[in-house]
Amino acid sequence: MSKRIVINPLTRISGFMEVEVIVDQHQVVDVKTKGNLFRGFEQMLVGRSPFDAVYFTQRICGICSAAHSMASSTALEDALNIEPSEQGRYLRDIIHCCEFLQNHIRHFYQYTVPDFVKIEGNTLLQADHNDFRLPQKVNRVISQHYFESLEISRLAHQMLAVLGGKAPHNHGVFIGGITTQATAEKIVHLDSILQKIAKFIDEKMIPDVFEISRYYPEYYRLGGGYGNLLTYGAFNHYKDIKTLYVDPLVYTDNGIQSFDETKIQEKIDYSWYKSSSSAYSPNDAIPEPDRKKEKAYSWVKAPRYNDLPFEVGPLARLILSGDYTNGISAMDRTIARALEAKKIAGIMKTLLDLLIPNTNVQKKYELPEEEASGRGLVDTTRGALGHWIKINDKKIAFYQIITPSTWDFSTRDEKGYLGTAEEALMGTPIQDPENPVEIGRILRSFDPCMSCATHVHRPGKEIKTIQVF
Amino acid sequence: MENYILPPESLTNEAIAARLTASARNGIEDGSVKKKNLVYLELNGCSGNIISLLNGANPDFEYMMGSMVNLVYSNSLMAAEGEQAIDRLIKAMDEDYILAVEGAVALRDNGLYNIIGSWQGKPLTGLEAAKMLGEKASHILAVGACATHGGVSAARPNPSQSVGLQEVLPDKDMIKLPGCPVHPDWFLGTLAHILLYGDPETDNLGRPLMFYSTLIHDRCPRRPFFDRGIFAEKLGDKTCLFKLGCRGPVTRTDCPTRQWNGHVNWPIGDDTPCIGCAQFGFPDAMAPFISYDTTRVVKDE
Repeated sequence: MSKRIVINPLTRISGFMEVEVIVDQHQVVDVKTKGNLFRGFEQMLVGRSPFDAVYFTQRICGICSAAHSMASSTALEDALNIEPSEQGRYLRDIIHCCEFLQNHIRHFYQYTVPDFVKIEGNTLLQADHNDFRLPQKVNRVISQHYFESLEISRLAHQMLAVLGGKAPHNHGVFIGGITTQATAEKIVHLDSILQKIAKFIDEKMIPDVFEISRYYPEYYRLGGGYGNLLTYGAFNHYKDIKTLYVDPLVYTDNGIQSFDETKIQEKIDYSWYKSSSSAYSPNDAIPEPDRKKEKAYSWVKAPRYNDLPFEVGPLARLILSGDYTNGISAMDRTIARALEAKKIAGIMKTLLDLLIPNTNVQKKYELPEEEASGRGLVDTTRGALGHWIKINDKKIAFYQIITPSTWDFSTRDEKGYLGTAEEALMGTPIQDPENPVEIGRILRSFDPCMSCATHVHRPGKEIKTIQVF
Repeated sequence: MENYILPPESLTNEAIAARLTASARNGIEDGSVKKKNLVYLELNGCSGNIISLLNGANPDFEYMMGSMVNLVYSNSLMAAEGEQAIDRLIKAMDEDYILAVEGAVALRDNGLYNIIGSWQGKPLTGLEAAKMLGEKASHILAVGACATHGGVSAARPNPSQSVGLQEVLPDKDMIKLPGCPVHPDWFLGTLAHILLYGDPETDNLGRPLMFYSTLIHDRCPRRPFFDRGIFAEKLGDKTCLFKLGCRGPVTRTDCPTRQWNGHVNWPIGDDTPCIGCAQFGFPDAMAPFISYDTTRVVKDE
């Protein structure tokens, strides 16, 4: 007979997620991933100054605040016909590198490691299951690195603050590139911290992830999902140096193809929103929140590309760039995160070496009298992040955001496709239904951010009061 | 020793807070200060305050969670998940505990816009958890702008009907640490004071005076430019940012001297206006954050 398992909350993620699975004969036969918090950022943004979108949207997420300032700045630049100088791009991307490094190190050690390693000495980090397989000596080493990594991710944020003013929620990323100037002193400061971080990644983080994979080899076969991969491009499209990482690409059964943004749609068939249309393009959204909608189960919508669900993130990027060939699974995702941390450290070093000290990239910007619209498509720590903006009468008239976790943790849709993470869990063997550790391990390999994934937009009209019985 | 005249100790708020934290550490190590349980609740917000706390140093987060307090609940960090996690939250109420809350409380649809777990087969909303945990806590800290007054989660038109923690616990005293995010020193210094001496002295809004008693404007390194009427026209300029929308004149906290992330920088040091993130009313009362138009108006006069 089948058994229903609910994990709520899935801890060690950003925001709140619930996962409900049906297990039959020790195998997952149905899944629902549910975003459980809602704030409504797109609606909050309507009516504000367009320049304020950069700092405001950072507050969507305390983990990837710089990511949102990247997407917001590039959307504004698109709308205002501002082309940042090449130095401005390098400077802004350096800030972004700092956040990549903090996010990957903290996610691996604080969010992923406790799934596989018994962290000694603190009851908060004691798990209730007993599926720990590392030999005592190995366990002790990685346990120590859990705490050592706190200093390293702190250093990554310190680097970010050198050009960004503070982290999280930096002030440095803005249209044109960054707000301040990178003096020679700051560049040397950044480089010296980067060396410490790169050393930790090479000597501890990467060995640790492979050590874990040796003792949990079945996770190379779990968590694969549909296998569709998407990236908006990362550290690419530079004038002189072209592409340091990956161009906008998608991968499906038909092989690798160029990304075409006109093929993006969002669906709300099973999301707590109502609208006259259940599918729409990102710059054409109309739904409003409806917590009473019966068949819905999540605040996360369902983005689709060419009608298909897609996975985004470090593994997608590494595969699409040709840097990783092993496969798609929960373990591959975790390994990809560590390998990407190393790659990002190298990219940041390249960009630092290209900087011309004291470059000033700021101007006094003006808003156009006429309507304007733009979009910023940026691959960030967790994957493909899009911001779409329309400006009218010098105010934000419309704002839409599709986050990486909306891609990875979408609901199913009426065509029968499950969300990416839902499909990844299908067929998973569950050894112990009382302690279904497989579920959290697979979901955390996607680096969930529910703070980012739950949004709504409807310009103008007052929200109707909805009764609850 | 009473007959000696000692050199004066620094009386700045930063120095007082640093000595306070050092005293707490010494008290904990010699056993005269008892560790308390700390419940850290994340509600309707961006989880940025816990990320900021991870950036703390001297003491760092590891010291806080292992030696200063017993951190018994944290959605971001705890190994337990699902009902086992919520069980720990419920059991925490059987003993004395300090409650720290980040994120706002969503009121809409009886709190269903922010569910933090399942308990006894039913959704546990942030609203229920805040009330339940708030009633029995020995001390309450509202951490970050969303918990102190709704913050960004409550920004107009406030679709989730988010409010600050005080609104759902109207009869409870609580210490408020506004900021977006909270500076780790503000939280750790306040926690140290509670462990050593109980609640710190606060202003009429519940903010600890040792961190929130001075205006940014009064200690800004660019104040001489303001006094001489030399103003920045764009981000990146090195003079006074007042005419670009800087909220330093109304924001009461110690950013100019404490700075951020290991004291390497701060928003004004990054050549941008303060946006008043540590001021009640942020973000709506502080908007627009950046405004180029004021410069033009002044020039025209």
